[in-house]
Amino acid sequence: MVGPRFGPTTGTQFNDNPDRPIMLHLKSKLFALASVLLCAGTAFAQDSGPLIDILVRKGLITDQEGEDLRSELTKDFAANSAAGKLNLGSHLTEFKLGGDVRLRHQVETQAPQNGTVSNERTRERFRFRFNGDALMQKGWGAGFALETASAADSGNQTFENGNNDYNLYLARAYVSWRPNLNWMFVGGKQKNPFYTTDMVWDSDINPQGVTEIHTRFIGAKDTLEFRASQLLMDDNNETGGGRAGRDAWLFAQQAVYTHWFGKDAIGNAVNSLVIAPGFMVYNDSTLSGLDNETPFNGTTDGLAVFTMPGEVNWMNVAGAGTAVKLYWDFAYNLEAERRVRKVYGLAGQPKDATAWLVGVGYGSGTGKVQGDYSVKLDYRSLGTGSLDVNLSDSDWAFGRLNQEGFKLAAAYNLTDFASFNATYFHTTDKRETQTSAVSNLDHSQILQLDLVVKF
Amino acid sequence: MKKTILLLAALSAVTLASAQKLVIKGSDTLGAKLVPMLAEDYKARHAGVIFEIAAEGSTTGISAIIDGTAQIGMSSRRAKPTEVSAATAKGVSMKPIIVAFDGIGVIVNQGNPLAALTRRQVEQIFAGDITDWSQVGGTSGKISIYTRNTSSGTYADFKELAMKKRDYASSSQKMAGNEQIAAEVAKNPNGIGYVGLAYLHDPGIKTVAIDGALPSEESVIAKKYPYARPTFYYTNGEPTGEAAKFVEFTLGDEGQKIVRKVGFVPVRALN
Repeated sequence: MVGPRFGPTTGTQFNDNPDRPIMLHLKSKLFALASVLLCAGTAFAQDSGPLIDILVRKGLITDQEGEDLRSELTKDFAANSAAGKLNLGSHLTEFKLGGDVRLRHQVETQAPQNGTVSNERTRERFRFRFNGDALMQKGWGAGFALETASAADSGNQTFENGNNDYNLYLARAYVSWRPNLNWMFVGGKQKNPFYTTDMVWDSDINPQGVTEIHTRFIGAKDTLEFRASQLLMDDNNETGGGRAGRDAWLFAQQAVYTHWFGKDAIGNAVNSLVIAPGFMVYNDSTLSGLDNETPFNGTTDGLAVFTMPGEVNWMNVAGAGTAVKLYWDFAYNLEAERRVRKVYGLAGQPKDATAWLVGVGYGSGTGKVQGDYSVKLDYRSLGTGSLDVNLSDSDWAFGRLNQEGFKLAAAYNLTDFASFNATYFHTTDKRETQTSAVSNLDHSQILQLDLVVKF
Repeated sequence: MKKTILLLAALSAVTLASAQKLVIKGSDTLGAKLVPMLAEDYKARHAGVIFEIAAEGSTTGISAIIDGTAQIGMSSRRAKPTEVSAATAKGVSMKPIIVAFDGIGVIVNQGNPLAALTRRQVEQIFAGDITDWSQVGGTSGKISIYTRNTSSGTYADFKELAMKKRDYASSSQKMAGNEQIAAEVAKNPNGIGYVGLAYLHDPGIKTVAIDGALPSEESVIAKKYPYARPTFYYTNGEPTGEAAKFVEFTLGDEGQKIVRKVGFVPVRALN
């Protein structure tokens, strides 16, 4: 005998008991409930599982009625939503898709040393980025990023050539494994794993290789991280012999110390100090085929760079959510003399092994909410022998060395997902009469006005 | 003699032609024991019915209904939206019918003084957040976790029912079946594991109450025990013909007694 609570009601051919009036009553309730849920839209329908469970538990509907209702809602969801047609593996714990489109108006001046003509131009440009990042069970992850432009240090595409369409390039493709809170490993073309400023690493560069990160939590207010990457910069044909026959590797390692201090109104430590000494060195090899802003296609010899970026953040300085940041970077190339005189061929020139940056910023909010804003100003000086020209910011002095000057940047959130940014760069040369293409810029100016919309 | 053989052959052909064939595919949870036993009993009552049962996983059962290669699909899970979408595209209406409940009990060694845990504590123990019995009010000792192996449907079900889909602790030991888990927990004073309702009375183990409820037929039916799940037959719309009769038999008293006998919980209280 099928009882009124657990028996199948929609399959009436099974129901020959005398409780039929009760069953019809239940069916009426079920019909009414289904109508309400279905009319509530697919989004609500997909979230109705717990509600159905409660109705079953309270005995208002039977298990089978609940199942029939759930089935109808699933059919409705499958028919009327894209999610119902998207089949993601059950091993995924999170899959995040996102990206942005940036429209840019750029005004620039680029004046070479000993030149009579300044290269002045305006450019209308855009950048498209589309990212997918998946987290999986047992600490595994994988992801990709697509973007316009093939240059490592820029995703910008200038509007040109009539209405021709543009290429998309694979900017990231990586796998990661985080077995516990203390260790993380990443392999492939990945986000820059280092704490850095754009003086040393252009923020558009996604380095390729393997990275190991070890994190130590020291009490509640201090964290110490050790980061190391073995980055493959160029794959050379081993039959070539000598340095041209060796793959080019960049070995970079860094310790990142973070200390939290001060207290906000509810006692949380919100101010922070970050200090991150590091060292990066190439093996003796060659690079070729680079198409970044100021490419140096040649030997990797003479680059063994010590770096020391850092910052101090003071929160709530002028009301809740406001912050002042003091930030800096310092780099010293231990092999600058060889780099300048032998690699760049600047005989008789000083080694200029040092690069430095100091900046200050003020902001209100996190930059993710309508009305948030920030302003930053930094001054920097880059010696000819101080850094790898292939890695430093392509916008500041067009990626050149032997320059000093400033960068002023402001950002305002028009909405939670759209912002207006303005950035101005101005640089002049440190030493005149340099003949290398990496250092022979007299002065530069760039003004960038951006509208960025995230999706 | 020749005429007799011809007559027998003709009769056999007629019998085969009139035999009803019922194709059932899907879940190994249902198809390993329960459905074959139901089929045997059903055949004893309905002569001439031939069963073809293939227990290769719930996914195959749902696919078989979508493809029209089975009249009944067995499943220990609900059809996914993508499967429902695929079915709709082929003009198939997935109809779920609950045929039994499957309960999972949490067991510890008989010598363990602990009698009850909360759902949160179970999640934390099996995920490795809690590693010592003293953290849940027991006698100090490192917890040894025993789970089914990864190919088991119960391995995934317990993660969903009890662990918010989190990973098992890396120290957990994977066992081939319910008997092995019960035997290991019986041997290990610090052991904890989970087994089907039919194995709760194995020697050397005791069952832990979860949020005050012990697993039993009554607590599962009354929705008081949290680690229980429905199991399904899927059909294309309302079942018809022999499939409808078999579904009716499964849900009837005789079928539900077999459900209980195999170790599942009937969909309703039986007399």
